[in-house]
Amino acid sequence: MASRYDRAITVFSPDGHLFQVEYAQEAVKKGSTAVGIRGTDIVVLGVEKKSVAKLQDERTVRKICALDDHVCMAFAGLTADARVVINRSRVECQSYKLTVEDPVTVEYITRFIATLKQKYTQSNGRRPFGISALIVGFDDDGIPRLYQTDPSGTYHAWKANAIGRSAKTVREFLEKNYTEDAIANDSEAIKLAIRALLEVVQSGGKNIELAIIRRHQPLKMFSAKEIELQVTEIEKEKEEAEKKKSKKTT
Amino acid sequence: MAATFFGEVVKAPCRAGTEDQEEEEEGRRETAEDREVRRQLARKREVRLFRRQTKTSLEVSLLEKYPCSKFIIAIGNNAVAFLSSFVMNSGVWEEVGCAKLWNEWCRTTDTTHLSPAEAFCVFYHLKSSPSVLLCQCSCYVAEDQQYQWLEKVFGSCARKNMQVTLLTCRHVTDYKTSESISSLHFPFLKALKTQNFKEPPCCSLLEQPNIVHDLPAAVLSYCQVWKIPAVLYLCYTDVMKLDLITVEAFKPILSSRSLKGLVKNIPQSTEILKKLMTTNEIQSNIYT
Repeated sequence: MASRYDRAITVFSPDGHLFQVEYAQEAVKKGSTAVGIRGTDIVVLGVEKKSVAKLQDERTVRKICALDDHVCMAFAGLTADARVVINRSRVECQSYKLTVEDPVTVEYITRFIATLKQKYTQSNGRRPFGISALIVGFDDDGIPRLYQTDPSGTYHAWKANAIGRSAKTVREFLEKNYTEDAIANDSEAIKLAIRALLEVVQSGGKNIELAIIRRHQPLKMFSAKEIELQVTEIEKEKEEAEKKKSKKTT
Repeated sequence: MAATFFGEVVKAPCRAGTEDQEEEEEGRRETAEDREVRRQLARKREVRLFRRQTKTSLEVSLLEKYPCSKFIIAIGNNAVAFLSSFVMNSGVWEEVGCAKLWNEWCRTTDTTHLSPAEAFCVFYHLKSSPSVLLCQCSCYVAEDQQYQWLEKVFGSCARKNMQVTLLTCRHVTDYKTSESISSLHFPFLKALKTQNFKEPPCCSLLEQPNIVHDLPAAVLSYCQVWKIPAVLYLCYTDVMKLDLITVEAFKPILSSRSLKGLVKNIPQSTEILKKLMTTNEIQSNIYT
């Protein structure tokens, strides 16, 4: 049944599916995991780093990109599609600033990206963008925001979410562990993001990249050392928690 | 004449028989050229069993030359990676034969210089226990070649006291279920066994409609007909390329009777598997 309705983007199947859009969502699952967390005074983006070939310059393989000083995004899916979306969003951020003399709100730029993606699900001869994005930032009112977009062009606000391979596992972890205590302060929110990624990342801290935005501060990328420190702290806390548990049972 | 959904007009077959039938039959009669083309194609698609070291063909079937009590067959790159990391690294295995075949799935039209990755099924036996045979099949065996493969490998070997274990992967869209795919956690393992296989499998059985395809189906059917105890462990995954999570989904099989005793160092095997994965992953930059 699918084979008759899944080639052209502009054709609905009899039961209402747009197969090309659904297949684009499968392409997203081929990208490595990205997680976004909205804290009280901080927003955190964590990604699983893609392994880089020996001769490849690591700096050119980036999953977290700044769209403006106060907004950044992480994506999962087709690298080239992401590059196009990021370039257009960056231009839009500056164009908006020049026209309106205010920086974009996180919701505005998310809506821009989502509208762009939706256009490509309704045009003949084009295919949908094969990426999902997590967009984080602070608006002028100081409220932290996290939005997620997907290839169909929908966008939603989230408290915490994950995209890419093993996103389901990470989302389940977040549903269990995202509590008011867990985001009580900045370092707890950062640890939650790292713990969520450690559920699915193969080789621990050295395959994680982390970025945070604090209120009225620019994007900060964590260095490998800082991430290692966080991972060591998390492992210590885990050991202590297990020791406490075993003491209680004895 | 009949019209299809898209409005094309096609000639509907007529059982009554018309004058046109004679013309059609003439067209269908084979010429010498057709026969020659068919012969050449059959030769191209022949499954050849030989020893790579000596480049000599095997005169009898593989299992007649190397009778075995345990035959483990891995079909597909994930299953092959699993056996390579967990089983082949835990002992000394000697190559005893190789089945070379060409079909349209091979990336080359040159049937003489085929690379092992594309067109070979390699057979090994354990040096310390030669009755344990292993097959690594990373190529696709087409439908018309499956019978030849079975004949060349199993032939008319003694079918008693032999147990066959098959490992393969399929895309999760092949899994027939009334639940929505989004509610499933993949990859997951399912088993399908022949009537004579009495051991409990290492995972749940594949539910109805329990349909299997390609070479694993051919081998299982053969084993069912010849009353050979056989079990197929089928991993349903959403990633058909070589993938660590998919390969690790086969781990429950390590506790089965056929693999117990063959796997010694699991942590080392996991390291070897990770290395295998990283070499593969780095090549592709399409997805981030």
